[in-house]
Amino acid sequence: MKYQIEKVRNIGISAHIDSGKTTLTERILFYTDRIHAIHDVKGKDGVGATMDSMELEKERGITIASAATYCEWGGHEINIIDTPGHVDFTIEVERSLRVLDGAILVLCSVGGVQSQSITVDQQMKRYKVPCVAFINKCDRSGANPDRVIAQLNEKLGHSAVAMQLPIGLEAAFEGVIDLVTMQAIYFDGDNGENVRCEPIPAELQALADEKREALIDTATLFSDELMEAVLEEQEISSDMLLAALRQGTLTRQITPVFIGSAYKNKGVQPLLDAVNALLPCPTDVENVALDLDKAEAPVTLSSKAEDPIVALAFKLEDGQYGQLTYIRVYQGVLKRGDTLLNVRTGKKVKIGRLVRMHANQMEEIDAIQTGFIGALFGVDCASGDTFTDPNLNLAMTSMFVPEPVISLAIMPQDNKAEINMAKALNRFTKEDPTFRTYVSDETGDTIISGMGELHLEVYLERMRREYKAEVSTGMPRVAYRETITRRAEFNYTHKKQTGGSGQYGRVAGFMEPVADEEFVFINKITGGAIPTQYIPACEKGFRACMAKGPKMEFPVTGIQVEINDGAAHSVDSSEMAFQAAARGAFREAYHKARPVIHEPIMKVVVETPTEFQGAVMGSLNQRRGMIVGTQDEGVMCAVEAQVPLAEMFGYSTVLRSLTQGKAQFTMEFNTYRQVPQSVAEELVKKAQEEKKSVA
Amino acid sequence: MLKQDLTVRNPLRLIGDGSEELLQAGSFGAVLARAGVGKTALTVQIALNSLLRESNVLHISLNDPVNKVTLWYKEVFRHLAEQYNVGQVKQLWDNLLPHRLIMTFAASGFSVATLEERIEDLSAQEIFTPQMVIIDGLPFDDGTHTNLAELKSLAQKRHLHIWFTVTTHRHETPGADGLPPQLAGLDEKFDIILQLQPEGSQIHINALKHAGMEAPPKSLLLDPSTLLIKKESDN
Repeated sequence: MKYQIEKVRNIGISAHIDSGKTTLTERILFYTDRIHAIHDVKGKDGVGATMDSMELEKERGITIASAATYCEWGGHEINIIDTPGHVDFTIEVERSLRVLDGAILVLCSVGGVQSQSITVDQQMKRYKVPCVAFINKCDRSGANPDRVIAQLNEKLGHSAVAMQLPIGLEAAFEGVIDLVTMQAIYFDGDNGENVRCEPIPAELQALADEKREALIDTATLFSDELMEAVLEEQEISSDMLLAALRQGTLTRQITPVFIGSAYKNKGVQPLLDAVNALLPCPTDVENVALDLDKAEAPVTLSSKAEDPIVALAFKLEDGQYGQLTYIRVYQGVLKRGDTLLNVRTGKKVKIGRLVRMHANQMEEIDAIQTGFIGALFGVDCASGDTFTDPNLNLAMTSMFVPEPVISLAIMPQDNKAEINMAKALNRFTKEDPTFRTYVSDETGDTIISGMGELHLEVYLERMRREYKAEVSTGMPRVAYRETITRRAEFNYTHKKQTGGSGQYGRVAGFMEPVADEEFVFINKITGGAIPTQYIPACEKGFRACMAKGPKMEFPVTGIQVEINDGAAHSVDSSEMAFQAAARGAFREAYHKARPVIHEPIMKVVVETPTEFQGAVMGSLNQRRGMIVGTQDEGVMCAVEAQVPLAEMFGYSTVLRSLTQGKAQFTMEFNTYRQVPQSVAEELVKKAQEEKKSVA
Repeated sequence: MLKQDLTVRNPLRLIGDGSEELLQAGSFGAVLARAGVGKTALTVQIALNSLLRESNVLHISLNDPVNKVTLWYKEVFRHLAEQYNVGQVKQLWDNLLPHRLIMTFAASGFSVATLEERIEDLSAQEIFTPQMVIIDGLPFDDGTHTNLAELKSLAQKRHLHIWFTVTTHRHETPGADGLPPQLAGLDEKFDIILQLQPEGSQIHINALKHAGMEAPPKSLLLDPSTLLIKKESDN
């Protein structure tokens, strides 16, 4: 197929559990000739659908946990990108939403808009992903597409427009009426592969006319040409109508709604036509990179083949032949043999094998075109890495990696779990720079740390599910810090003369708080009061104290130390003596400098239906949260607050029960702030108890 | 120093008498200007002036999202702190924040009843009880009269004062009292009406109405680069 960027679609299929995402994907792959037989998810033949959840795939030994699958329909090239099933705001979800240009929102015609549909929809809204809706399962008893359309408008605040009418419903569901072409469409053959177009049944003609009128009415908002045609009572062509609807869809002002039953093989082909006609191609979407030479200033990418290459590695997969890296090219063309720069590591890499994933096989290709998705073999990188032409210094994601704010000890339950855990941790730390792991010096436990409770929970769950590593966990710990609040002087002499060579060193000066720096050391020694060769030892001594604060043993930050006097002994002074003197000086001044504990404060945004706003604000307030603001967006509203991380444990459960599962929240690190006195006392008490119990 | 310094040195005192809020509980103030001249910046300064006195300010924006309003406060505060050489800025800022709450509505979704419900809920849960409210972006059109009457009774009931921003237009001719057509027949509801008037490279702050206080000097300006209030003599 000749490559034309306007005929490329990168789409995701987002859905509530059980609304039929897997079946729909499978039918799409079947009609696009990527697979040659259909298996039901819970089918009797024991094979299972082709694109399915991880467990099923592994159990049944079939392929595809594929991050992106390629297929062709109606002269268009479509990449279906797997959108992660878990709804949390990890970097992984963000990346998969970033690489897709449009989406199909699948809804169940019986269940309608449920709480998880709200979550999925919020995600797409956040990333401004245009979508079409597919109301599935119209053959089920209780199917009511009209009600689902009304819910789309009321609960999700969409402006949903019906593109089709059902011909019969529930067991009598036969086909659909296309309101653009004004034809009845039936799906014949064993697997609905033969699409038959007929005139609209007489009994539905009046309703179809009325609905088409409404559709045209909505579409006129997006096209002057259509508006004129309507006013002049001209014939409205399908192309003109679709062009106007596309305009509305791309700007997320309308959501065209299609109906069908994937299980009964009805309505899938028109949906694929709609993907081609209504969803964006890569050039319709503005993609922005960050210029690292200009303090991460945003740069709009051109989507032109002749420009220098910019590509994002969005997912890694372990395959038979080593690491497979899924990549989306945003600008330029990625060819085999090219040398590119990995912006994060600064290393140049040579591109070897390039492949394109089909449902259950891969195809070798020579190049990945602009706006396209493919995979690389044999490139060592982490997911989220940007590859560019060696002359560029652009990154698709910010290079700033925040420090983790929460940690958790994990213990493997047996030997096998230990091996699998190590594999999993190795993979996760590669995928997500905010997820870290280390072994505690004191307890020997493996500690994982990240950006929030949910963040760690997602990885623990993946460890169990994908790596079969059963681990037990300790209590989550918040990364508190210590700092000082005022200037304090020190003048400390370290003197030891108990046999052997003596130790002598004196340091004097002061420490004071400093903003936005971890540690600053200033040497103002004049006249050689401390010989120059011992100055680095002094700095080392002070710096060593920063790891564990004298107050609560939390890391210390924000301290500036200035030394301006001291003394040395010609025989007894040594680097070790000055290090010890600096440590003594630190302890001496620290307690005088009014040390305080700082805790991580998170920016929490709760998106909730308006009726629960009061309850949500109350729940945040109870958690020592400070409400920054509320944003009313019709049926939904967002409450933004700053809440101490220590108070956010278990908040998702609380929020779920407060809002009947209809609200969701995101949380990200905001700043460190001083712990209130009462809480600080609590912490001291707790630490003392812990010490006692260890002793 | 800190808070007191900023309140004492803040040129806003030149509008009022410097010791208390510009408006009494239950009264209204308005800031008039054409689009883009600095209404939000001026109201944010009025708000900061109250925040520094530890009054609670509810900022309602009908145009901008919470993030953008937050940014306005940060910027104006940063300029203010720089101009008056205030130390320990972060600490001061952290102290101010709990006194401020931002609410945004799509202009069509705003109603006095909703606002009243929200304020009551916030107070009942002891989350936030505003003493001053800013309503930025309320369209002054046919429905305003009713809205203002309802807001007036809300302000009196809850002992708070309200500042409004009013967008004027270049092509409109002001009435005999100097007020734009949007405020025609409404001026008795307002105790203070300030107008931002760009003249050449300067923006003058004119008091069109200033009930209950000394006539403010006509020498206040809004610095076009920082959008801070300054005396003409500082120029």
